[in-house]
Order: sequence, then structure tokens, then C-alpha cells
Amino acid sequence: MGLIQRSIEDIGIATISISLSKEITGKVRPPRAVFFGSRLGRPISYPHQVSRQISVLRLLLKYLEEIRTPGTIIDIDPTVVDNGMDPSPASK
Amino acid sequence: MEFRDSPWAQLDKDVSQCRLALITTGGVHLRSQPPFNMADPAGDPTFREIPADASLSNLIITHNYYDHFDADKDINIVLPIERVFDLKQAGDIRGINHRHFSFMGHIMHHHIDTLIKETAPQVATELKSDKVDIAILTPA
Repeated sequence: MGLIQRSIEDIGIATISISLSKEITGKVRPPRAVFFGSRLGRPISYPHQVSRQISVLRLLLKYLEEIRTPGTIIDIDPTVVDNGMDPSPASK
Repeated sequence: MEFRDSPWAQLDKDVSQCRLALITTGGVHLRSQPPFNMADPAGDPTFREIPADASLSNLIITHNYYDHFDADKDINIVLPIERVFDLKQAGDIRGINHRHFSFMGHIMHHHIDTLIKETAPQVATELKSDKVDIAILTPA
């Protein structure tokens, strides 16, 4: 996915992605990514959990605006998404 | 594949003023479209165009390399096609592109070259022609 993201960013569109593996994302180095412990097959929460799905998307939009350094992977405490709290990063 | 640097497109306006498109590698496609090729162990580097107003009942996942049991119940968890309308309605974004794009995320060997040189740049060009400002990419 990072390869596709790089192509879209290359053409001048700002992109952000959900990372399922910090190790792989760290190698492909997309411009902006967020890791919050999503599992394979469920990158955006669970089926029919509408408010949680929206929280995840808002988190992505927040970091789309805030990330200033290319190649940044924001590491979020997954409980932040669970609780719908302001998603301060656990680490970068 | 490993890179030493990252591409960068500066976002020069608020997200609330942006047109958004979604890209997934979850193997989502319309029931009327050809499925991704599961017979090739190196994957399928092609993509499918997903109309933004496609109903969930018209979407299906063809991807044998992850468990999409949950996504089959609600495709929004890999392609949040309904949730972006919630974002627009709430004013988080200005608009939704009329189409999103879907790939299959198991692409290996010679197909990586096709992805990098052909299909991914083709999608990027289409998004640019649609005047998309921002894109969210979701794996599966």
C-alpha cells in the first residue's frame, strides 16, 4: 500500500495511511502514516461501530494536517481510539 | 522494498476545505466488475474504480490473503465509503470525490514493477484530474 501512497503523493496529493506494521511502513516510508494496533482485516475498527469508525477517520485527518516531516509514523495508544478521546500520540 | 526518503505534497489548506478520495488494498470491487486474480500467486496489480455512491450490497471482496469475515459484514472497516459521507455532513471535509479506488494488497515479484510504473501512477493521475486534495489509504 505504501507504494501506491508514494505515487499519489508524488503527483501532488497529500496522503495519509493506516499502518498495520511499523516495520514494513518504516521501510517503504510513505509520507504520513498512523499506527494504532489495527489488526489485519480490520484497519478501521469493527463492523457497524459507526462512531468508532468516524473517530479513526478524524484521527487520520488530524494527522494529515499536523504531520510536517515526511516519513512520519504516528504511534497511537489504541485505547485512545476506543475511548474516542483526543488522540495524543504515544510516540513518533 | 526499502526507501531512504519520502515524497511530500504540502497541504496548503484546511482539511475542512478539501476533497477526499479513498484508496484501499482490501480487494474491494463492485459485484459487476471482474474479481481480482487469485490464480496468480504473485497477486494482481490492477485496480478497480469504486463509485462514491456505491451501495454496500453492490460491493464484494476478492482477496484470499486476509480474513475478511468482518469486512464482509461491513465493508466500511476496510473501505469507509459510508463514513466519509458522515465526515462531509459534519463539516470535517468539504467534498468526497465521485470515485474511490481499490487494489489487492498481495502484490509480489514482477507485479511490483507493474504497480509502481503503471497502475499506481495511473490512479494518481486520475485522482489529480478529479482535483482531489487529500487521500486516505487503508490496508487490509
